[in-house]
Amino acid sequence: MSRLVEARSVTRRFGRATAVEAVNLVVEPGEVVGLLGANGAGKTTLIRLLLGLLQPNSGTVLLFGSTPSLATRARVGYVPQSLGLYDDLSVEENWVFNAAVFRQVERSLPDALSAWRSSLVGDLPLGVQRQVAFAVALAHRPELLMLDEPTSGVGPLASARLWEQIRQAADDDAGALVTTHNMEEAEQCDRLVIMVDGSDAAEGTAAQIIGGRTVAEVRTEDWPRAFSLLEQAGYSVQLHGTALRVISTAQEVERLFSAASIAAQVDGVPANLEEAFVAIAAGSPPGRRTATGAR
Amino acid sequence: MWAMVAKEFRQLRRDRRTLTMMIVLPVLLLVVFGYAANFDVHDIPTVVVGPNARTVASNLGAPFQVVEIDPAGGEATARSHLRDGSAVVGVVTAPGGALVLMDGTQLFSVQTAEAAFAKLAPSGRVGGHAARLQILYNPELKTSWVMVPGLAGLILVFVGTLITSLGVVRERQSGTLEQLAVMPFRAFQVIGGKIAPYLLVAAFDLALVVTAGMVLFHVPFVGNVGSFLLGAGLFLLVTLGMGILVSTLSQNQGQAIQLAFFLILPQVLLSGLIFPVSSMAAGVRWISYVLPLTYFIEISRGVMLKAAPVGALLEPIGLLALLAVAVLGLAVARFRRDLAPSVPKTRVGRSGDETVAT
Repeated sequence: MSRLVEARSVTRRFGRATAVEAVNLVVEPGEVVGLLGANGAGKTTLIRLLLGLLQPNSGTVLLFGSTPSLATRARVGYVPQSLGLYDDLSVEENWVFNAAVFRQVERSLPDALSAWRSSLVGDLPLGVQRQVAFAVALAHRPELLMLDEPTSGVGPLASARLWEQIRQAADDDAGALVTTHNMEEAEQCDRLVIMVDGSDAAEGTAAQIIGGRTVAEVRTEDWPRAFSLLEQAGYSVQLHGTALRVISTAQEVERLFSAASIAAQVDGVPANLEEAFVAIAAGSPPGRRTATGAR
Repeated sequence: MWAMVAKEFRQLRRDRRTLTMMIVLPVLLLVVFGYAANFDVHDIPTVVVGPNARTVASNLGAPFQVVEIDPAGGEATARSHLRDGSAVVGVVTAPGGALVLMDGTQLFSVQTAEAAFAKLAPSGRVGGHAARLQILYNPELKTSWVMVPGLAGLILVFVGTLITSLGVVRERQSGTLEQLAVMPFRAFQVIGGKIAPYLLVAAFDLALVVTAGMVLFHVPFVGNVGSFLLGAGLFLLVTLGMGILVSTLSQNQGQAIQLAFFLILPQVLLSGLIFPVSSMAAGVRWISYVLPLTYFIEISRGVMLKAAPVGALLEPIGLLALLAVAVLGLAVARFRRDLAPSVPKTRVGRSGDETVAT
């Protein structure tokens, strides 16, 4: 099956700062690939490299099998973080402009957007703006969707709707590359590429990335003291209901509590995606890939 | 309050463009007003023709600067020089009398020439011959007649440079420029589509100003409309090119306004719109020779007031064409680079050109 977009050991530097380093990535038809990373991990720079808006210092980018160009970009539906809509045009005017640029035969506004037909985009809530941007990006039936933080600032309902549309596009054999730092959204992707400090630190399905990782689950009545102790020791700790989840082994945590005379029940439990992500990010010194899920 | 003052200073120190403007602008204005803001005319290009041309020319002292003596020439030769702008005063000698023609589009030069003639020949005789003074193109020396053709150019500078740059920078600020770069557009289509509306509005503005000048101030339009449109078209391309250039150098509308101001101010002061170029000190006069408005004013006054044919305006038209190619070419090249850079940039954020996207 032909690859929609491919990055081969792509590196991009800005002066002395390396934004993207030796990243490999592939998106194939019908799959939704999530680009997961914290702010500043290099996700947006990578998207811009894949679109040809930036040129790599080294490595190769192939869009539909060739160097990104006018012709190949025309087959992409792109929603940047800034949405790319004209705030001072109405929804319908934005739609018509886009339809004319992509030479769409069908130029009438879809029913889903008709309620805001005459509203200026700048006057609409962010959730609706994202919905419009997404509809505009899908209108020319792109073979590849590139969505940079598509649900940022959007409520859960609107977010669910957008993901429904992404899945629908994938069912229609389009590929999608979605940047996010939202774990729930990441779990909806077929495959994930985790970026840490510009590098692709891990790649695979959510299950593959989690792999056999476990975390320590702590139950104790003296949880404020336990929490404080774990934090002081430099562990990443989260409160889940009445339990603390620590990115570490149960044995290590037990040793720590024993030394501090804290009575607690500590069990090793399977990690979730967020914990796996934190573990990967924490164990990955800047510029080095340290963990691989599927590879 | 001191915290606020300290914060402002810190911000100002980092906003180097504003800081530069605050320091450079007063110096610039001082230099311009000191050396360029001068209504006193010291040299008046003069042509002397007719059988007694040599005798009369030798009697003409300052401020007349005799640029040509043509004993074989007649009134037509002198008129031709005045129309082409190569002379402001033409003395036509003839047995028993002399006719002094003056270019009324050069207000200050003509006023100086009149005063000089009155002093030189209080009896009304030049070189021993009775002299008759005649002012061409603007016989009543009306200021509005010479200002309106220049103002038309100034309006084109505002629309072409300032409004265009703001329009393009707005795309960059809102993030839609990136979206345009991803769309199936070639760079020239983006630029063409972006400036075409401004071009039309500017053309409308031009027609409006010229018509209003003709109706309200009775400014004549005696020349060929085609010549005028040719000059205006070339001039507009230069100003639009400057607008795009400003936009490629600005990250936001504030910066665009600052830069556009730097380009517009010298044109207002040094193009000959207000102060005669010939009266400026040599040190600042060269600036006026690289300003497009200088040449447009020459064309618009030439066509509207003097009916100068294209042949007589080849020099300003050619120079405007040259500026159009240079400025627009540079602007398009920079704009293309902004849309889809072909080589990695190595600068980091500080210059404001590029920041690390994450």
